[in-house]
Amino acid sequence: MKFNIDTLPVLFPYPRIYPEQYEYMCDLKRTLDAGGHCVLEMPSGTGKTVSLLSLIVAYQQHHPEKRKLIYCSRTMSEIEKALAELKALMKYRTEQLGYEEEFRGLGLTSRKNLCLHPSVKREKSGSVVDARCRSLTAGFVKEKKERGEDVEVCVYHDNLDLLEPHNLIPPGVWTLDGLLKYGEQQKLCPYFTARRMMPFCNVIIYSYHYLLDPKIAERVSKELSKDCIVVFDEAHNIDNVCIESLSIDLTEDSLRKATRGVNNLDRKITEMKSTDAEKLQNEYAKLVEGLREADEARNEDAFMSNPTLPDDLLKEAVPGNIRRAEHFVAFLKRFIEYLKTRMKVLHVISETPPSFLNHLKELTFIERKPLRFCAERLTSLVRTLELTNIEDYQPLQEVATFATLIATYETGFLLILEPFESETATVPNPILHFTCLDAAIAIQPVFDRFSSVIITSGTMSPLDMYPKMLNFGTVIQKSYTMTLARKSFLPMVVTRGSDQGVVSSGFQIRNDPSVVRNYGNLLTEFCKLTPDGVVVFFPSYLYMESIISMWQGMGILDVVWKYKLILVETPDSQETSLALETYRTACNNGRGAVLLCVARGKVSEGIDFDHHYGRTVLCIGVPFQYTESRILKARLEFLRETYRIKENEFLSFDAMRHAAQCLGRVLRGKDDYGIMVLADKRFQKKRSQLPKWIQQALEDRYSSLSVDQAAAAAKAFLREMSVPWTRAEQEGVSTWGPEDLARHKAKMEIEEIRRLEEEAINANGAIGDVVMEDEFGGDEFDDTVLAELDV
Amino acid sequence: MSRAAQRSGATPSKRLAEDGDICPVCKSSRYLNPNMRFLVNPECYHKMCESCVDRIFSHGPAPCPIAGCRRTLRKAKFRKQTFEDIQVEREVDIRRRMAKTFNRREDDFVSLLDYNDYLEKVENFTWNLINGVDIEETEKTIAAYAEENRREISRNESVAAQEAQSRKARAAEELELIRLRREDARREDELERREKADMRRGIINKLATTDGDAASIAREGQRVVLKKSLARRAAIDKQRDNDPFAASTENGEASSGLIFKGLKKWVPPAPEKPYDPFGGWSVENEYFVLQDHYDWDWLSQAQTDIRHTAGGYDVNDYCARALCEAFSGFGVFIEDEVAGRNVGSAPSIATAAAAVTGSEKPDVNMDDIF
Repeated sequence: MKFNIDTLPVLFPYPRIYPEQYEYMCDLKRTLDAGGHCVLEMPSGTGKTVSLLSLIVAYQQHHPEKRKLIYCSRTMSEIEKALAELKALMKYRTEQLGYEEEFRGLGLTSRKNLCLHPSVKREKSGSVVDARCRSLTAGFVKEKKERGEDVEVCVYHDNLDLLEPHNLIPPGVWTLDGLLKYGEQQKLCPYFTARRMMPFCNVIIYSYHYLLDPKIAERVSKELSKDCIVVFDEAHNIDNVCIESLSIDLTEDSLRKATRGVNNLDRKITEMKSTDAEKLQNEYAKLVEGLREADEARNEDAFMSNPTLPDDLLKEAVPGNIRRAEHFVAFLKRFIEYLKTRMKVLHVISETPPSFLNHLKELTFIERKPLRFCAERLTSLVRTLELTNIEDYQPLQEVATFATLIATYETGFLLILEPFESETATVPNPILHFTCLDAAIAIQPVFDRFSSVIITSGTMSPLDMYPKMLNFGTVIQKSYTMTLARKSFLPMVVTRGSDQGVVSSGFQIRNDPSVVRNYGNLLTEFCKLTPDGVVVFFPSYLYMESIISMWQGMGILDVVWKYKLILVETPDSQETSLALETYRTACNNGRGAVLLCVARGKVSEGIDFDHHYGRTVLCIGVPFQYTESRILKARLEFLRETYRIKENEFLSFDAMRHAAQCLGRVLRGKDDYGIMVLADKRFQKKRSQLPKWIQQALEDRYSSLSVDQAAAAAKAFLREMSVPWTRAEQEGVSTWGPEDLARHKAKMEIEEIRRLEEEAINANGAIGDVVMEDEFGGDEFDDTVLAELDV
Repeated sequence: MSRAAQRSGATPSKRLAEDGDICPVCKSSRYLNPNMRFLVNPECYHKMCESCVDRIFSHGPAPCPIAGCRRTLRKAKFRKQTFEDIQVEREVDIRRRMAKTFNRREDDFVSLLDYNDYLEKVENFTWNLINGVDIEETEKTIAAYAEENRREISRNESVAAQEAQSRKARAAEELELIRLRREDARREDELERREKADMRRGIINKLATTDGDAASIAREGQRVVLKKSLARRAAIDKQRDNDPFAASTENGEASSGLIFKGLKKWVPPAPEKPYDPFGGWSVENEYFVLQDHYDWDWLSQAQTDIRHTAGGYDVNDYCARALCEAFSGFGVFIEDEVAGRNVGSAPSIATAAAAVTGSEKPDVNMDDIF
């Protein structure tokens, strides 16, 4: 359907639109017009992606400057979905407009998914594919080939050089599969096509990491211009992604490998000295000049400022004591040896970067400055030595990145050494966590660089947490509710068992037999009454295991077994995917199944249980993080000190966003229905932290139920849902055709006019009305005054 | 020394890898003696167990028991090995010595490039010493340098020591601050909890003793709680803003014994001059001199009349204006100007005037006119 938002003509590829989609688009447009950032929460399964894409594409095509869209999503499947949506949208636009627009939309993913080289694509691990690809496609390999040396190259990659660099692929939207097929036909490398075409695309769809991870962002995203529109979809976890991208864990094993890497480098340097000393000399001369020349290559404006490489560092020359290759190698050796000695300590250490640097200097005479240049210097050396088997140097690179990070940032990071894996372990297995505590560091360049950043997801409540944590300002923060023709989901909070005993996964009572039995009863009740699939979420693997074994002892599993097939998620991803497959088969052709999984596991994020795959979700216990973890403690402290976010506030926010994610798994659209059960006493008080759309549906009378009451309510709900129902009933209420939209617009206009009129009247009669107004709003007025007086 | 160094570089590391826990002298292993500790002597870096050191070197200096190494070692010099790799251990010792001599700082140099060259040179010397290249010569150069620059070296040393001290003080202060803040947060939580409990008890008491509407009492109670917490938060914010410690950390400065190097001296900005609309171009009256007093009888009345003076009227101003107007036509020769305009054939009067004034008074800026 076609409609206008203000003056912007939008083509929406479906005949009907949801009211919240329309509202969402209006707010998006306002954000784009204002040129700022926004946080939007829209219920899952209400077509967030398609409304986003159709609005932004319309915006692009309408405005002459054609701002580029960078759409970041989290998983491969979501990227593919978005690409498919985009393709459908563009097809629809062509049909409606009657001509094809000059438009390119591409998705980018790792080499592993896009490789066509006959032997390389058969490799299983992504890093091996990367390394082998590099060894076939690096610049010097081609030079060697031109010199007539016998080296292996990749035909797919080299064919690209024969084409015009801005026209490697015809306009249109290319899904990943489509790209692969086209590549196979034309014998072109899909990966490099996508990467090189990025500056010429209207829409780019890729994973968060290409923008947030400094190591990749530098290489992939540097040519993007400032007026791009950046969208982070499914962004409820974005702070953790930011933190992970800047955190490094070192183990003894990785240090050992790093040492091996350094020794290899040493050997290579000696070799090169005897054969091709000139090259080393060239590199040396360049480094004397500084990184300036490299800086020129990364054009001021186009360069994505990189957290590990601050601007001032680029303008400086490499310090003299690591300019020569052999000096640098000795330097690295010394640094690694130092880390090894640090690892030998048998008690937990947590220290700040400045204190680490001090100690380092006392012991090994390594100054802060050369340390900062470590990563860049290593890259330069690897390039000079023309190393092909990069994967061998992975641990070394990690150490170098660590060095650069620790010397660059004084605050926002913490070094934690844990010599033992667990409290009870006696054999030391030290891990050096270099953790980033401040999510804002990684994402700051994105906010600084791009004028419009849109953060959106199905579950982001409370919305103001994200601007606080990521340290940015927003134009619009909004949470949309779900308009429903019938009440299609039933959220409930279960606080007691049938015996009126409290249920909770709180630490003190979580292993009480009575609590476990009550949870067991809850499970059996819902397995009895639910048709098809039931999904159960536990706060942790540990708790899940203990509770399952207790259920086994109590005979609860035997009862459940009568009604449903029982499947369990494990940390192993292969096992889990097998379990999922079995679960789906069972849901398709039997009494259904129950899947027991973990609220922070793989299943809870990104796997949909639409329709009969999930009719009930049970959230057993509040999914708090493991609070004894030192990293978490450090982060909490940091949040408190820097952003004034209290510990409990953050923990509860984090728990509730995961709970909301779990609940959102079963409802994937407006014709879907499902029961959501939150089974913990503590949920009663945390209701206000759920997303608005769930809160709205959670009635007061369902906010503190016992197991039997919940079962009765669920039965009634399911009976209601089983009444035959057509889509026609939705029309005009939860889906709008063009007429409905027009009606809505007219209504909005009338309201707007009324509002303006009222304002005008108010302004005129303000003086006369004072007394009256006071009478009306007396209570509130009083309140605020009192509060102010108190202050 | 070079021979020894080379050998020690090659052999011990290999041995370490093979049998890390066996003493090369007495061949006892960790299995036999679980508390065995290894020591090295920075003369030759051969490691041996503690008991061997005691046995061999207790009675004064003795040659190293490792075959082929004839260095004389003393017990006092033996110490624990910090690094696993013995080569690095040795390298660090050399570096320690070098760092003592070559302690130039970046601001001793004119440009960064010079400093980097210096660093590289020092690194080269160190490299030579570590790998045993031209040791004698290098040592000689280093000694000469140390002799020449003794004063600078000691100065930089003291600066470095001072810096270290201030850094330590600052770190301690920061630690203390963090501890205080943590304590504060804890106390705050505690207070809040207690207040909440009190309030709840209060409400329950009220509910029990009075017989008003239960809902309204509860609401009232909640309002009081909210207000109190707001007030408390504001108080905390205020306190934080006033906190002298907090302010000092934000500025990143500590109060005592801290010397910042490379800081430019703060120069107070020159006081701003009053605004001059003509840009320094003043008009002097060259055709008359203003007198203090004029005997114009029609004016004397006004001069003394309180009704005029109260309003700020000054007869002198009147006189000055009257005279200025009277003479204002002098010195302007219209024929000359018209002729000049034709000769210059300037496109506009403004440019001509600007050109004239510009040539006469250099401080009138031409750009300003447009």
